[in-house]
Amino acid sequence: MIKHILTIVIYLLVAQPALQAQSAQESVEQKAQIELGRHLFYDADLSINGTMSCATCHEQRRSFADGNQAHPGALDDQGKRNVPGLANIGQFKNLTWAHNRLSGLAEQSLMPMRGTDPVEMGMNGHEDEISKRLSQNGCYQKLFLLAFPKEKGSIHIGTVSKALESFQKTFVSNDSLYDQTMKKGTSLPTKNAQRGKKLFFGAAQCNTCHTAPLFSDDDFHLVQPRVQNTEQKTTDHGLSDVTGNPKDKNVFRTPSLRNAALTSPYWHDGSAKTLIEAIQKHDLKINQTLTHQDIAELVAFIDTLSDMTFVNNPKYAKPSKECPY
Amino acid sequence: MKSVLVVLFLLTGVFANEALLPTELTAWKSLSFVSAAKSANELSNASLVLNNTSLVGLHPTPKIQYVTRPTNEGGTVSYGGLFQITLKEGGLYRVVLANASWIDLIKDGKPAQSVAHAQGSENSGIRKMVDYNLDKGTYTLQLSAGADTKSALLVTKLK
Repeated sequence: MIKHILTIVIYLLVAQPALQAQSAQESVEQKAQIELGRHLFYDADLSINGTMSCATCHEQRRSFADGNQAHPGALDDQGKRNVPGLANIGQFKNLTWAHNRLSGLAEQSLMPMRGTDPVEMGMNGHEDEISKRLSQNGCYQKLFLLAFPKEKGSIHIGTVSKALESFQKTFVSNDSLYDQTMKKGTSLPTKNAQRGKKLFFGAAQCNTCHTAPLFSDDDFHLVQPRVQNTEQKTTDHGLSDVTGNPKDKNVFRTPSLRNAALTSPYWHDGSAKTLIEAIQKHDLKINQTLTHQDIAELVAFIDTLSDMTFVNNPKYAKPSKECPY
Repeated sequence: MKSVLVVLFLLTGVFANEALLPTELTAWKSLSFVSAAKSANELSNASLVLNNTSLVGLHPTPKIQYVTRPTNEGGTVSYGGLFQITLKEGGLYRVVLANASWIDLIKDGKPAQSVAHAQGSENSGIRKMVDYNLDKGTYTLQLSAGADTKSALLVTKLK
């Protein structure tokens, strides 16, 4: 018995500082990965001709969405889908408009870099070029070494995508007017927003899919006609393009409504110019009962989900040109 | 002579399939060559004339010292450059480009906020049009994150 107690005491005395040191080292690495990810997010050398960075489409002032219906790629290929916002993106299991098989943001970041349907950043088959370009930059050499010491600072698309994931996981948006009133237990400032909130969580049933607090259930739904008319013919079939299951045709992930007022246009194809149009586009029975006034009130409520501290947070902004280390 | 030949060669490519353009864009079809400045010191040799389309020569991004850090900085393999233009009166202006370079219009160290974006009509050779409400004065026009060593560039007044 005494022997066991002595073993535990020795363990606590010896192992605990070692664990703490390990944890501190991991923290340094994590911090460096976030800083590195931030630099990479704003670096157009991740695209084939140096014309596009992640931030070209994901603009902080628009909650990391884009003001275009769909953004053309680096080689001018037409965009396929509207650029989704990235608020709280680290809290979602499913990523992009219609994918349920991505392991995380690191794998997701390969889609714009290497994707071919459509070509966005155009690096498919040119991954070594990323390594070559970044390796010429002394600051990146230091950042990669700090962020990935076990890999001896190796610069390749794997470490690039891991750093991008670390940075995007820091995108937390929870300080909107709605959040502030919820914390204080007070009402929203306008009657329209108050009525909109009541409708949102009540009769209009928006909260069923746009579930608080993320204002998305992180799930896939069919909210538009399965069979479209000839003018609306599309090659984008949503989740079924990934799963191959006909039941998933035209099924898309519920977008978060946080900061939605800043992310126009809307819908997976950017076909709704305003929030009013986006609400009206839902082909649901409940929609037929909504009046113009109801919709205006819902929009007033959605406006209160805008978080200006998020879109102005200097932690997410383009980093200084000076090397941080 | 070489520049004239380059302009003629590019004109045949850019306007191979002529498109009808609205009257405010007719200047798009009369090109003159302007080499971009690489820094503020060279700006006097890179002046644009309102309503005159210029074929502009651009530089590799690492060789450029922008007056203000571009909103969208190109990578090391991209192209860009600086120009200056003097506007005699305030109003709504449009910058028209044959490529998709990022545009920043700067006066007194501050970039102007754009008010509208559009693409040109098919076969117009216009890739990008950006509108700004501008005061009179001299502006630095910065192009960044371009894919090409050249582009056609026009600044025109709409209202």
